[in-house]
Amino acid sequence: MSKTVTQILTWARVKSPWVIHFNSGACNGCDIEIVALLTPKYDVERFGIKLEPSPRHADVLLVTGCVTEQCAERLKRIYDQMPQPKFVVAIGACACSGGVFEGNYNVVGGVDKILPVNAYIPGCPPRPEAIIDGVVKLLNALNPPKQKKQSKQQEVPKEEARPKGATTDVLILPETEKIVEEEKESVKQ
Amino acid sequence: MSNSKIDLVNAIKSSFNDKVQIQMGQLGTAAINASNDLLREVLKVLLRADEKTGITAITGVDLGVNIGILYHIHASNAFLTIRTEVPKENPKIQTISDLIPGAVFHELEVSDLLGVVFEGNPRTGHFVLTENWPEGVYPLRKDVKANEIKLNPSPKEDTKPPEIGKLVKIIIGPQHPALLEPEKFVVTVDGEIVTKVEPRIGYVHRGIEKATETRTYIQDVYLVERICGICNACHAYGFVSAVEKILKTEIPERAKYLRVVTLELNRLHSHLLTLGHAALEIGYETLFQYFWRDREPIMDLIELTSGNRVYASLMTIGGVRRDLKENDFPRIQKTLEELKKKLPFYRQIYEKEPSIQARMKNVGKLTREDAIKLCVVGPVARGSGYDIDIRKDDPYEAYGEIPFKKIVYTDGDTWSRQNVRMDEVEESINIIQYALNHMPAGPIRAEVPRNVLAGEAISRNEAPRGELFYYVKSNGTAFPERVKVRTPTYANIPSFLKTAVGENIADVPPNFVSLDPCFSCTDR
Repeated sequence: MSKTVTQILTWARVKSPWVIHFNSGACNGCDIEIVALLTPKYDVERFGIKLEPSPRHADVLLVTGCVTEQCAERLKRIYDQMPQPKFVVAIGACACSGGVFEGNYNVVGGVDKILPVNAYIPGCPPRPEAIIDGVVKLLNALNPPKQKKQSKQQEVPKEEARPKGATTDVLILPETEKIVEEEKESVKQ
Repeated sequence: MSNSKIDLVNAIKSSFNDKVQIQMGQLGTAAINASNDLLREVLKVLLRADEKTGITAITGVDLGVNIGILYHIHASNAFLTIRTEVPKENPKIQTISDLIPGAVFHELEVSDLLGVVFEGNPRTGHFVLTENWPEGVYPLRKDVKANEIKLNPSPKEDTKPPEIGKLVKIIIGPQHPALLEPEKFVVTVDGEIVTKVEPRIGYVHRGIEKATETRTYIQDVYLVERICGICNACHAYGFVSAVEKILKTEIPERAKYLRVVTLELNRLHSHLLTLGHAALEIGYETLFQYFWRDREPIMDLIELTSGNRVYASLMTIGGVRRDLKENDFPRIQKTLEELKKKLPFYRQIYEKEPSIQARMKNVGKLTREDAIKLCVVGPVARGSGYDIDIRKDDPYEAYGEIPFKKIVYTDGDTWSRQNVRMDEVEESINIIQYALNHMPAGPIRAEVPRNVLAGEAISRNEAPRGELFYYVKSNGTAFPERVKVRTPTYANIPSFLKTAVGENIADVPPNFVSLDPCFSCTDR
């Protein structure tokens, strides 16, 4: 019974991730590409992804921009308002590392200086296909597809699997893992 | 046309004789050196001589002992720059916002970033910088290093619910479903009627103007391009054309036409984007999806011509970086033809659809007089019958040779502003098709000297949202001394503060989006 509930929870989480988008000082390039995702050509609703205006209903926080001083506080507040378990995706070169604005005054630079980031999607801006790829990889990491025994041996160690900034990489942070585990525990009880 | 240019300068000459120095052909039509106390008198003469006199931008430059303040003034057919200086020790100057109401925010920016006090300006406090900015530190002064600024601890945000009274404050932003970008607008309502709108910008302020001073000219082309992800080609063009003016470089004919194609593709995708956004704001999601569906082929064309969907990165000092292949022309023509065929459908929706009529007609009315007084630009001005279009008024690149219409609507409401954009989509298609059919052969890039000599120049171009203004000052080194950007949305904000008052709170989103606001441009 408890196993079924966990399965249903994971299934629901993976099949309908509601995303909230916050621009923390981006140039609009990434933001417009995110909006383009919702329109007929890319149409991410086929993955159950829905853009949600309220942080309290969202599972995934998509952050664009280099995080300005004025936005940093607000970004943290939005993250705090989201229910557990929550995931953060940094979209674009600025959100990954500060990009071209690194070192300017008023710029904190990089979302990971404020929040724990699960997935980095580099690019200036990343193509919509890259954003879809990143979000789908994040979803797959939550519920890894069953692998054959042979391929398991070829798996790369975790550190090497995440060359920062090179490709879209997904990292499930220990905190998030812990929360998912706790949830499973509580369901068992 | 040239008569009125000389008329204005002559009017100043006859009124002030030797008290002001006039340098013809510098920083626009002429640069006028006036002392601090004569500034207002010069402006009064200009305002009397030409009804369309308004302010484009105010630039502050750190000159060492003094702070130079440059008032960039536009008139019917002329563009003047009035130079004045204030001592750094006691930087005080009288406001001009009582003469030109559109100057309020321009003055506020200079006082925030350079510490000049404009006596008599109705607004005070931070507008671009954060609330916890250290006192007495002005980022655009030369003695301030970008990486040495330490902010005060951030003040606690007021989370108390507003008091229930007759007037209620509704806070829109920084994170709000209707805003794609983080900005704050505090709307005071009496029942359903808006009585006041207070803007707070600066959430996207990345200090780009300061950053340009620490990067080389070529690096700056890519940096200023990233001021805005929508009208990026216009920003890159504004910067390179100002530098080319300092270098006195003439670019090849083919490069001029290629630049026009890039700028117009930029306008096409930007206009389709905002038309869709406007439909979304009134809850017409189908139309939003339609507009964005038709925008995608344009994005493909930008990718075809430049190699990138968003950042074209085509402009460079002296010309363009990539050539267009002749065998790509048919594909571009075909895509544009297909878009052109769809336009009558959209026009019919705007003419006949009751929901569009109800939400956009007579909403956010801006009269021509107010448009001139508040110095608005672009489709907002043209929707109010104020016919300014830099492409026609002060032709740059190949625009002087290409036939096209200046789109003007006279109603001044949201519906007119969106219709200006709709008609401009068609004009843009015609411009690109003409440019492709008349593309001259030849090189795409001129040889430019490696060193930029000391000098200064301005550049104006018509971005999708209106006039985009660049001022570049070089000091003979590898890095520019000062780069000033005045973006169209910055000039259009005052009009929204005026038109929203007295209207229904529900009309705020469509009215606001009709400005085509872009805050990454505004804040820089």
